Amino acid sequence: MNFQIPIGPQHPALKEPIGLRVVVEGEIIRDADLRLGYNHRGIEKLAESKTWIQNIYLEERICGICSHSHTTCYVQGVEKLMEIQPPKRGLYIRTLVAELERIHSHLLWLGVAGHEAGFDSFFMYVWRDREIVMDILETISGNRVHYANNTIGGVRRDLDELQVKHILDSLEILRKRSEFYKNLGTKEPSFVARLAGVGYLSKEDAITLCAVGPTLRASGVPMDVRKDDPYAVYDEVPFEVCTADTCDVLGRTVVRIKEILESYNIIEFLLKNLPAGPIAVRAPRRPKPNEVISRYEAPRGELIYYIKSNGTEKPERIKVRAPTLGNYAATIKMLKKGFIADVPLIFAAIDPCIACAERAVAIVDARTGQEKVVPMNILRQSSQKKSANKERKREVEWPL
Amino acid sequence: MATLKILIYLIVCPGLFFLFIYSTFCEWFDRKLYARFQNRMGPTHTGRWGLLQPIADFFKLMAKEDIVPDRADKGMFSALPPFGLAIVSTAMLLLPIWNYDLEKPSLTSFNGDIIVILYLLSLPTFIFFLAGWSSTNLFSTIGAARVLTMLFGYEVPLFLSVLSPAVLANSWRLAEIAAFYRQHPLLILVNLLSFVIALICVQAKLERTPFDIPHAETEIVGGTFTEYSGKKLALFRLMIDVEMVVAAGLLAAVFLGGFSGGLVIGLINFIIKTLLVIFFLSLIKATTSRIRVDQVVSFSWKYLAPLAVLQLLIVILVKGLIS
Amino acid sequence: MKLGLFIPELLRHLLKKPATVDYPFKKLEVPKNFRGSPYLRPELCIVCRACERDCPAEAIVITSVNEAEKKFKMVIHNDRCIHCAQCVDSCPTEAMKIDTRFEISNYDRHNLKMEWEYVRAVVRPKAASKS
Repeated sequence: MNFQIPIGPQHPALKEPIGLRVVVEGEIIRDADLRLGYNHRGIEKLAESKTWIQNIYLEERICGICSHSHTTCYVQGVEKLMEIQPPKRGLYIRTLVAELERIHSHLLWLGVAGHEAGFDSFFMYVWRDREIVMDILETISGNRVHYANNTIGGVRRDLDELQVKHILDSLEILRKRSEFYKNLGTKEPSFVARLAGVGYLSKEDAITLCAVGPTLRASGVPMDVRKDDPYAVYDEVPFEVCTADTCDVLGRTVVRIKEILESYNIIEFLLKNLPAGPIAVRAPRRPKPNEVISRYEAPRGELIYYIKSNGTEKPERIKVRAPTLGNYAATIKMLKKGFIADVPLIFAAIDPCIACAERAVAIVDARTGQEKVVPMNILRQSSQKKSANKERKREVEWPL
Repeated sequence: MATLKILIYLIVCPGLFFLFIYSTFCEWFDRKLYARFQNRMGPTHTGRWGLLQPIADFFKLMAKEDIVPDRADKGMFSALPPFGLAIVSTAMLLLPIWNYDLEKPSLTSFNGDIIVILYLLSLPTFIFFLAGWSSTNLFSTIGAARVLTMLFGYEVPLFLSVLSPAVLANSWRLAEIAAFYRQHPLLILVNLLSFVIALICVQAKLERTPFDIPHAETEIVGGTFTEYSGKKLALFRLMIDVEMVVAAGLLAAVFLGGFSGGLVIGLINFIIKTLLVIFFLSLIKATTSRIRVDQVVSFSWKYLAPLAVLQLLIVILVKGLIS
Repeated sequence: MKLGLFIPELLRHLLKKPATVDYPFKKLEVPKNFRGSPYLRPELCIVCRACERDCPAEAIVITSVNEAEKKFKMVIHNDRCIHCAQCVDSCPTEAMKIDTRFEISNYDRHNLKMEWEYVRAVVRPKAASKS
């Protein structure tokens, strides 16, 4: 008997609204469909009416967890447009905050994976240790989320000796606890029974369907923007790209834990070799007319910004390609042939940040190939006209 | 005088009134212990140390609006909660707390009452299934199907492991089994394996982690309880708490030697032994994560049932050695 | 057996103090660099309007009260403010500062306005602003 189960837009398994519709037979999933657009806020349009500095804070609020990724990617793009180069100390501090953000995001994900699987004790312990990272970020930048440490041309706040010592001490505690979680997360039998073999994505599928981030690296593909296209100081810092071979949710967990441990090493290297000097250079108010692409390895995958300027003090167009958008097609492939009980885990394993991934829809006429962007009020009027005279059905069916 | 004693037994203690207070106390104990295992605080501030928190939850639910879905079977939907509460309260009467005399079997303590209590504890599973089925909601139907699938897994090991000490004690009456183990305390150690199996199966019967699949919050919203609200949900939650007390009391009576000692000492004995069993149940809840429903069935039939049969063999051997 | 990995850890935590804090009755301290609400030191303000221009949330409004006496009024709308401290960075004379208050909730958003009326100061800017 075929059932259609809606997971979302409102569902306890999802942190943000998304319309996922699965067709099940008993407990096995036969087909899946994804509907976006519930979280669209019009940020790209709003960015066209604010100046370059004001946009830093706007882009930061696209996402709460990966806020520094969005600011850094944007600021890197604008620095390329304005043709200025930030000083070394500023770049080191920027990378330090980036790696701290990666740690806090992966610890958050570990806890959420535990909660989705029902392992609440693990969730509480991991989030208690994440508080150490949040406190470090609070002393460095003044806030626990939305650090706003970047400015065009460098960073805003400097590190002093006391803070460096505090970070190095906390790293010791965090390393011990992370080793314990690595042991627990990969060996606790009931947890592993939920993760192993779930959400299989083969290597060829991962490359064809444009998966990014740990989802891609868990299928054995060693692609990482920090190694392929180094930005900030990643060409000077020694680190390794973490991959796993099992291509399932357990592999993604292992990749993220390995990345946490790599980040500890990177932070230690950065703090021991912090150069002296200024932290920012002066930036002009208007860049020359140009367009630029900026890439960044966010905790969830590859983040791409396209920025176009026309010589005034406001940008002409900013386009954001968030990593979760790239992982959606791979999710649909992974959901087929799974169980219902696996849906939250498969969906959580790509680390969804649906708030990052909402974009407007362009309507393409299939016959003529013409594109147009239709404003919302016109769409609403035409749909109201169409359904005004239909009889009301008691239950709505979505076409799949 | 006798009727007054029976009325006090039924309504005050260990009847409905005591059951209400004690089961909310057990829920507080479970929540506080679960929180302390996870290094956080648990209920505070309602009453000293948060003791009144479950009672406050109960009264808050009673005051909320009660919605019955349009297409549901209204009679069955509304009748199930009080019916379920009645079943588990009746099961509580059969525990040998007071009012039993080893010589004379009475209405609440007779030969074979261990089977009756196991039967009465299986009925709530069917009540959950009917509750989910009569809600005609997609998520409830899946939850109801999962409840029955789990029943196939844990029922047989539960029966086998609870009945092994009865075989050793040579009687089907709870009061006599408890008295037997009080006289020969060393024989309690023979039943250690079945104690562990019974703890795991009781955890599955009460639908707590790792077996809380039927009302898994992150997968199917509320599972069997999705459509329930207001007074009906309050009665269902009370029924789950009372079921926990009855199951803990059953395990304490069969494995830990019963509740002897007259009026006051017997009650204190009961409280201490059931809290010990609930401590173990909370430990299991905090240690593991949820497993899938097909894994429950395969786990029970591959490991739990053979171990229960092994325990039965050990009991028969020891019985042969003693006599 | 592998299940026993977690149990000693759990039992040890029964004896430790909880990591959570009973919030309204006990409070935690914030570090000294914490970004709370912005405020003005009027004796240093030269009304260059850099903060008004750079605020992403349009939370600072400067109006002229009296042209002849060079009296100005600044209103900071703390309900619109996103606490980014860009005004502090843009101010050339360090007249804008940020404090560590964070419990500023109120039932009416118009109660969160802060106003200053002052005469424009004559102060040399210390250094070029970072923007």
